Amino acid sequence: MSNQKKRNFQIEAFKHRVVVDPKYADKTWKVLEHAIHEIYNHNASGLSFEELYRNAYNMVLHKFGEKLYSGLVSTMTSHLKEISKSIEAAQGESFLEELNRKWNDHNKALQMIRDILMYMDRTYIPSNHKTPVHELGLNLWRDNIIHSSKIQSRLLNTLLELVHRERTGEVIDRGLMRNIIKMLMDLGSAVYQEDFEKHFLEVSAEFYKVESQKFIECCDCGEYLKKAEKRLNEEIERVTHYLDAKSEIKITSVVEKEMIANHMPRLVHMENSGLVNMLLDDKYEDLGRMYNLFRRVPNGLLTIREVMTSHLRETGKQLVTDPERLKDPVEFVQRLLDEKDKYDSIINKAFSNDKTFQNALTNSFEYFINLNARSPEFISLFVDDKLRKGLKGVSEEDVEIILDKVMMLFRYLQEKDVFEKYYKQHLAKRLLSGKTVSDDAERSLIVKLKTECGYQFTSKLEGMFTDMKTSQDTMQGFYASHPELGEGPTLVVQVLTTGSWPTQPSSTCNLPSEMSALCEKFRSYYLGTHTGRRLSWQTNMGNADMKATFGKGQKHELNVSTYQMCVLMLFNNAERLSYKEIEQATEIPAPELKRCLQSMACVKGKNVLRKEPMSKDIGEEDAFFVNDKFSSKFYKVKIGTVVAQKESEPEKQETRQRVEEDRKPQIEAALVRIMKSRRVLDHNNLISEVTKQLQQRFLPNPTEIKKRIESLIERDFLERDNVDRKLYRYLA
Amino acid sequence: MIVAAPAAKDRVKFNVGGRIFETTSTTLANAGRDSFFGPLFDENQSAGGGEFFIDRNPDCFAVVLDLLRTGDLNIPPNIPERLLYREASFYGVLDHVRSAKWGPFDGNRLRYSKSISGTAPGDGTAIRAAPDGGCAVAHGSIVHVYDWMLSEEHPPLTLDHQRVNDVIWVDPENLAVSACERLGRGDGGLGLFNKTSGRLRFKFQVTHDNQVKSFTAGALATAQNPNHRIFSSCKGRSNEYGIGVWDQFTGKQVDFFYESPGWSLGDADRLQWLEERNCLLVATLFPRKDNCYISLLDFRTKDMVWSWSDVGAPMTVDERRVRDGIAMEGNNAICVVNEYEDLGFMDLRMNGGAIRWSSRSRLIMKGRMPDDEPCYPKLALHDGGQLFSSMNDCISVFCGPDMVMTSRLRRGYGGSICDFSIGGDRLFALHSEENVFDVWECPPPPVI
Repeated sequence: MSNQKKRNFQIEAFKHRVVVDPKYADKTWKVLEHAIHEIYNHNASGLSFEELYRNAYNMVLHKFGEKLYSGLVSTMTSHLKEISKSIEAAQGESFLEELNRKWNDHNKALQMIRDILMYMDRTYIPSNHKTPVHELGLNLWRDNIIHSSKIQSRLLNTLLELVHRERTGEVIDRGLMRNIIKMLMDLGSAVYQEDFEKHFLEVSAEFYKVESQKFIECCDCGEYLKKAEKRLNEEIERVTHYLDAKSEIKITSVVEKEMIANHMPRLVHMENSGLVNMLLDDKYEDLGRMYNLFRRVPNGLLTIREVMTSHLRETGKQLVTDPERLKDPVEFVQRLLDEKDKYDSIINKAFSNDKTFQNALTNSFEYFINLNARSPEFISLFVDDKLRKGLKGVSEEDVEIILDKVMMLFRYLQEKDVFEKYYKQHLAKRLLSGKTVSDDAERSLIVKLKTECGYQFTSKLEGMFTDMKTSQDTMQGFYASHPELGEGPTLVVQVLTTGSWPTQPSSTCNLPSEMSALCEKFRSYYLGTHTGRRLSWQTNMGNADMKATFGKGQKHELNVSTYQMCVLMLFNNAERLSYKEIEQATEIPAPELKRCLQSMACVKGKNVLRKEPMSKDIGEEDAFFVNDKFSSKFYKVKIGTVVAQKESEPEKQETRQRVEEDRKPQIEAALVRIMKSRRVLDHNNLISEVTKQLQQRFLPNPTEIKKRIESLIERDFLERDNVDRKLYRYLA
Repeated sequence: MIVAAPAAKDRVKFNVGGRIFETTSTTLANAGRDSFFGPLFDENQSAGGGEFFIDRNPDCFAVVLDLLRTGDLNIPPNIPERLLYREASFYGVLDHVRSAKWGPFDGNRLRYSKSISGTAPGDGTAIRAAPDGGCAVAHGSIVHVYDWMLSEEHPPLTLDHQRVNDVIWVDPENLAVSACERLGRGDGGLGLFNKTSGRLRFKFQVTHDNQVKSFTAGALATAQNPNHRIFSSCKGRSNEYGIGVWDQFTGKQVDFFYESPGWSLGDADRLQWLEERNCLLVATLFPRKDNCYISLLDFRTKDMVWSWSDVGAPMTVDERRVRDGIAMEGNNAICVVNEYEDLGFMDLRMNGGAIRWSSRSRLIMKGRMPDDEPCYPKLALHDGGQLFSSMNDCISVFCGPDMVMTSRLRRGYGGSICDFSIGGDRLFALHSEENVFDVWECPPPPVI
């Protein structure tokens, strides 16, 4: 055993290290690099996806991720540099096409490369804070192509040039444009904005600045607006065709600023074609365009509104203050209505019924309609005219429309109580003379007034209608109880409630004996049925139908006023009567008498009397005869009284005074109402509260309010505070 | 009539390592575009009419194919898990495997899955579950990082070989490690590491009076909302105690909340970010300090908006000292635990209230008291609803509005549980004696 050789077992080091072939990484990378080349050279069909994927996987697994990644970067970069050269070499038009083609190639290649290197993308990249393959490909494209010195500015200029050509009417390849813009957006919104949008907006601003200057020198306002609208629509269309949707608001605001905002005053005030001319000529289309364009810029609509308002106020002021126009109240109101119609349809058709414009219209009307103190009277006269004759043959609906329009004007009035006064007078006249054409129309208007101003406002007007109806019944009863009155003159009496009707100083006259006897009979009949009432005759408001036979036997029926009837009856017993004799016999007040004589002796065609001397005016010494030569082709002759339809100056003063009188209790009532709830209030606040409460009906005069306060203090409704004299206290 | 065979167009034939598999592109589409199978069906990469060769393990391919067909993972005993994971990773379906492996977390359905033992000497300090189901375990001066497969460790982390105090996952890829400082060298402190590479990405620095100071970093917390912050309890050498605040991405210091006299922040046992209240909970507890301090800090106003301390409180016979505390925002409460595993509650809406100890949660554990090395109770929350408390070698699960105990988790091996953590639908429990941690997970949803 001893000579047995000791065997030395030596364990040799394992020669094949577990780590794979040192050249493994280089070899594998070569395969992958080759594949990337092939992909870029459109030879991918010969490649095995499984093999390449496995190779990339193995490289990462064996910790060669870094080598793989940096290899990818440098390989892709070198390809992109080649691509960059070929794009640079493209001449003229083909530049964008080449860029687009290469971009598509790169995207396809990138997708394939990413698929092969998916394992690296999933494991190596997140844990080593590297850029993922797809993003890397885009970044490299951006840095090597888009930001290469020879491409960057050329690309920008080409794009801007194409936009410019399209703006000047040329047709460009929008599809190509869209692809290139899409590429910039894919590279990140910062690239799109910095490398295109920013410059695009600048160039556009410059373009439109120049163009708008050119347009404004040679176009009228309407034409200019048409062009601006067209440009705006073109830009919006451009965005939808090939720009980022987010650019729309930016480019439109550039166009709006350059083409509209910068030229607003000039456009609006453009001579012969500006806003005022459009309004005058009812250019709905142009106005609508202006509205839609100006709406887009700050203060645009305000500008239109201000110009419209000042124009409206100016024309309205002329309308209501022109002395020529004041001659005919109906015409005056009709013009106001026409003006309102005109602007209503402008606002409706061109300004899309914009509330702010409607308010401006209302304010303007309120402003100028109240410039003329006679507006309430005229409006009432207009209604009077319409209800007397104007509504004949007009359909019910049209009546309503006219009345609604009148109500609208009524709404603009500050002194609604003045209107009420006149309306009452005019209604009284219509009712008493039986001139009203349509009872329905009358009532409809009263309902409208009622809804507008409340029950109080119309209760007296409604009372007048009731009186008319009752009187009809009374007369029937009267004649039924006096059957013997069938022969001889007929008396028709309207019993009017005091207070409901416009009171006039009762100026009686001596009625002819036949009539006064009849009147007495009626009086006793009426008082017999209604005890405790008092009747007084309003002879100034009556009228009469008389049969007359003149010198040559011509017979006529004369329609005259009560006064005129009294005068004519005198001539049954006399050939000649002097003014003094007539005055004595009838006791008609002098001004009335003069007017009624004037209408019978001085009006051609109605001159049933002859006057000596023949002059227009009635003198104290004049003498009157029956005009035997009177002739008329009508059997019935209506002899009007010479009355100005409009009020005469003294009458106006009187009405005014009565209105002022009526306002006093209303102001006082408002003062007491307010003070009762507030107990203590200072002067200024009280004035403003009262004004607020009353402005539904009229605009109270502060001096008048002050007077009313003084009066209430005197009557111990209120007292001044001892310390602060501006403070009022309510005394319960 | 239903045609028995699917359209030929849809059929795919694979030759995997010599074995033929037939499937449909519909099944493969379950893998997603970002998998190996994704590009195969692109127009430009047509697989052709014939079979597609893959140079991989056929057994594993069968498992993967079944996973794509049914969504269930069944690994035959003859296939090592590691191999399967590798293959799944190759095909890019590792995430499918992960989500098929265990079900959504529920404290009452947890099953013991496995124990992992390590080689580090000494006691475990902390275990932290990663969002993806992996975990990090700190022992002394080293941190071991495991991915969810638990089969493989990433490179261990160390911060200048200083003693590690806490670890926190900033995101699935990165984690922060806090460590003691080393006098005079600027070592230790707080660092951010990449999980996969194990590289130190940067250190979070503290500046006092424009001077960078070294410090000992303690308990950690993160806030994703708002602003991605990381908080650390900090001890400097010149009484620079307090809470440091940094940006997770840049590592820049953004704030420092100095500790006020008579209070404790720099020695905290636990930090917790309260998202709804926008506040940080800081708890410093016995026995690290003689007294317990719990406070809520609002960094916007630099205010202590809520605080509680047992300073000056009379010691009762059974000496209930708070050993851990956790805020339950939904219940407006802070839950605390004492060394007997009694739960107590404090109202977050009231400042200066007392602890309401709950007797219902208590389970008499006499006779099983810890032997030589006691581990103090620790608390954890899951989704605000379930509360977990560790005691000795047990973890108790509490549920419901009154926090009643509903389950107990126990494994005999390894001694007391010194720390545990919930995350990625898993629960990890670290034992103090042997270098071992347990993994608990819920089974996947039932077949029917």
